[in-house]
Amino acid sequence: MNDTGNACGSEDLGGYVLVRVSGEVDLSWSQQVRDAILAALGRGGVGVELSQVGYIDSSGIAALVEGFQRARSTNKRFGLIAASKPVLAVLQLARLDKVFPMFAGVDEARVA
Amino acid sequence: MNAVPLAAAGGGERHALRFLAELSQALAQSLDLRETLDMAVTRIADFMQAEAASLFLLDRAGLIECRICVGPVDITGLKLAVGQGVVGRCVADNATQIVRDASCDARVNVRVDAETGFVTRSILCTPLSNARGPIGALEVINRRDGGLFDEDDAEILRLVAAPAVLAIGNAQLAHGLVEQQRIKRELELARRMQKSMLPRRRRGDFPIRGVNLPAHEISGDFYDFFDLPDGRLAFVIGDVSGKGLDAAFLMVRVASMLRWVGAHAPAPAVWLAQVNAELCRTAQDGRFVCAAVGQYDRASGTVALASAGFPPALLHDGKAFEELPADGPPLGILAEADYGEREFTLGARALYLFSDGATDVRTGASDRLGEAGLRGLIAGHAALMPEARLRAVVGDLKRLHLVDDTTLLLLQEPCGAHAHTLLDLEFPAQSAQMRSVRAALRHALDAQGVAPELRDQLVLAVDEACTNVIRHAYGGECTRRIALHVARERDMLAFELRDHAPTVDPASLKPRDLSECKPGGLGLPFIAMTMDDWKLEPAADGQGNILRMHKRIDFGDKE
Repeated sequence: MNDTGNACGSEDLGGYVLVRVSGEVDLSWSQQVRDAILAALGRGGVGVELSQVGYIDSSGIAALVEGFQRARSTNKRFGLIAASKPVLAVLQLARLDKVFPMFAGVDEARVA
Repeated sequence: MNAVPLAAAGGGERHALRFLAELSQALAQSLDLRETLDMAVTRIADFMQAEAASLFLLDRAGLIECRICVGPVDITGLKLAVGQGVVGRCVADNATQIVRDASCDARVNVRVDAETGFVTRSILCTPLSNARGPIGALEVINRRDGGLFDEDDAEILRLVAAPAVLAIGNAQLAHGLVEQQRIKRELELARRMQKSMLPRRRRGDFPIRGVNLPAHEISGDFYDFFDLPDGRLAFVIGDVSGKGLDAAFLMVRVASMLRWVGAHAPAPAVWLAQVNAELCRTAQDGRFVCAAVGQYDRASGTVALASAGFPPALLHDGKAFEELPADGPPLGILAEADYGEREFTLGARALYLFSDGATDVRTGASDRLGEAGLRGLIAGHAALMPEARLRAVVGDLKRLHLVDDTTLLLLQEPCGAHAHTLLDLEFPAQSAQMRSVRAALRHALDAQGVAPELRDQLVLAVDEACTNVIRHAYGGECTRRIALHVARERDMLAFELRDHAPTVDPASLKPRDLSECKPGGLGLPFIAMTMDDWKLEPAADGQGNILRMHKRIDFGDKE
């Protein structure tokens, strides 16, 4: 976490990794988000928690799409958890809101 | 006045003078030639104690025609050549003729008597003449008392001829005036018809304004504008060569053709080519038409324009003029003529189209205002709003001497002068800058009352545009600059993003299909979906690119 509020951390929940993203996901660090998601997928299913994301641009969306595609090709679970309004708006704009599995909380995501 | 020998006329000098006075007054009062002369000839016949009297007038063919006839034989309509008979001789010589004994006078035309049984004994005939010479003759035949006409009678007839000539002159003048009035009325009608063909001025924030100043009643110039089904505005301005009625008729025809063809929204070059072909097909004696046609898309600010020999259009940004020359020859000369066309973004600039009457305005005895002069007039009023500016320029032209039909068309967004900057930023091409750029933009849009959802979407679109510049135009993070300018013109937000990277081919930018799920290439679709229009153009100085994006927003009653 730095002064921008941008942060990306992961938490192992036993075969399921919760990646928490917060702040404004843009080109300046979306690569880090991407790397974190792909790394987490190496350890199991992944849920990306987005409730504290105030902004996301196409490079951030691209990171999510890449994670989603990697999970499918490796037969792992992948979902978005508690996506904030700004994230949902952009997903809708990109017509991806029906593509990602979306969950209200981490518990639903883990049992899905 | 000469002594008047009136004893012979019966009644004495006083009687004659009273008759003359009454006759003169009667002749002076009426403007109906036939009625007046009929009365006059009857009274002359009575006063002269003549059995018959007639009045002859020279017609346009040079024949002398009997117009009024009093007496037992009606010879009205009888025509004589100048020199023929007593009347013809009278007119030919412009001198009074006295025939004391008609039975043995060679001048007498015996045919009428032979046909009618009337016996002509004595004839007196005096010319009716004005300053330019004879216009006819007044003739009396046979004194009722059986006597012969003499010099005294001739003198009286000469005297009554004078007011008759005046009356004829008056009546002809009046007739001429009536005729002139009629022609004037018809021209006025034609002028009103022509005027009714011009489009009605539209109030409010309509961006097209026109003025047509005919040099005479009728004009060879015209302008027109109308809505196209796709929402664009079409406009036309034209100038038919020559002046007068034939030019006016051709103007009506060409204006109709341009409207008819233009209604189908063809590209301007095609529009001109079609009208040109039709005009050449029905060519008329070397007349031609200079015209410019175009379409304006208010949403994108794009103008498409083509000119057929019309004077160069002027684009004015308030400081400098750009001249747009003609794209082909005038209409009606070359059936196979090809026309070019041009497309440009109007922005806040003003496009002036003017017929050559505007530059042919005389500034001195022989000096033309010229194009430089017209530019000067426009520049002098640059600070005014479009409507007021056009009026001011027209006022200037009118104060000078208009020698030809003059027409001006002004295309400009009326609120152009009101456009105000919401944001003006310059920053290095680094993605770390974007967070503060977004914050500044968010703040600026909030200040305008833009709804949060739309605000976020606009911020996203601008952010995507900036990161595209960083990643693609500059090829990665660098210290070179990006300038972002956001302005509002009434309900239109205008975003302008400028870089100094190598020129990007606008054709290479195509938003991808979103139905495919893949990670990249989402930036352009975001821009395309958010903005009403967007366009990438090379910067005017050839250094870098300018991305222009527009979004019309319902601000409610704000501003």
